[in-house]
Amino acid sequence: MVAHGTIAFDTLTTSDQVNTGTEKSIDTSYVFNGVAKVWNNINGTGTIAIRDSFNVGSITDNGTGDYTHTYSNAMASVNQANGGFARVNSYFGFLGGVIDDTFTTTSMRHATNRHDTMNYADAVIATVTIHGDLA
Amino acid sequence: MTIETPEFQGTHLWERLCWAKEKLEPYRSEYCIVWEDPNDMENPAKVTHPDPNWMACALQGGILPPVQSYWELKKDENKPDFVKHTRGPELLHNMKPIDAMTEEEAIEYLIMKDIPETVWRDWDKSNKPKMVICKKDQLPGTREWRNAWQISEDLVINNEVAA
Repeated sequence: MVAHGTIAFDTLTTSDQVNTGTEKSIDTSYVFNGVAKVWNNINGTGTIAIRDSFNVGSITDNGTGDYTHTYSNAMASVNQANGGFARVNSYFGFLGGVIDDTFTTTSMRHATNRHDTMNYADAVIATVTIHGDLA
Repeated sequence: MTIETPEFQGTHLWERLCWAKEKLEPYRSEYCIVWEDPNDMENPAKVTHPDPNWMACALQGGILPPVQSYWELKKDENKPDFVKHTRGPELLHNMKPIDAMTEEEAIEYLIMKDIPETVWRDWDKSNKPKMVICKKDQLPGTREWRNAWQISEDLVINNEVAA
């Protein structure tokens, strides 16, 4: 445990007097389990670059609109959930899957696509957040 | 100001990364790795860039586990009956963290962590190199023909950097 400013507790409880007056409790492990374990914001154009991130080791540019994010702290299994966003130059964009390749416990691969043709396209901004359990 | 890394052996790697994110300045490396996967020859060369926060951890020392930990995790994951990692504490959190690396050593570590072994194990044992460490300004200036990028067969390799 990091020693600076640590408060150890198992349950958060509120009386919620302001709104309902009904006490509510939540297990802190439940809070931790819901936190994004990986997030990354990249510029996928030109020489691609990571703007900011957490728990990322590297980003691999696999080709036009095709990226792999690798993690530092592995996930427990390949059953992860990804939320993402992409903006493609001059077009609406979206985050898409890549055939036969998405999650390993240490990486996530995705495409960024144009909304009109569905073709892969480099993303000005692509973001991913990974949820799941850590190894 | 020099920041001293706490004694992190036994601390969850996630907590170490939280500490590093708060305390360390991201380090943007000028290096990247261009590689071709022998199992995926139809596709263009891939380019791997280190994460600036990860790089800060590597240069700081005392945070990251040895690269062998990731190899062991990969072995476990490749087993046919793999469902979930059970050796995370042993391999990532309780293993003694590695000391500070130079930028070049960090790139080598990252290669062995994030690029398939079939690429880096014998990177120079085929008709042309399967992998090159280069500076970002040595990449093509435009992505217009991105899906045609390949490592040049006429490449002159500086072993001081690439070996």
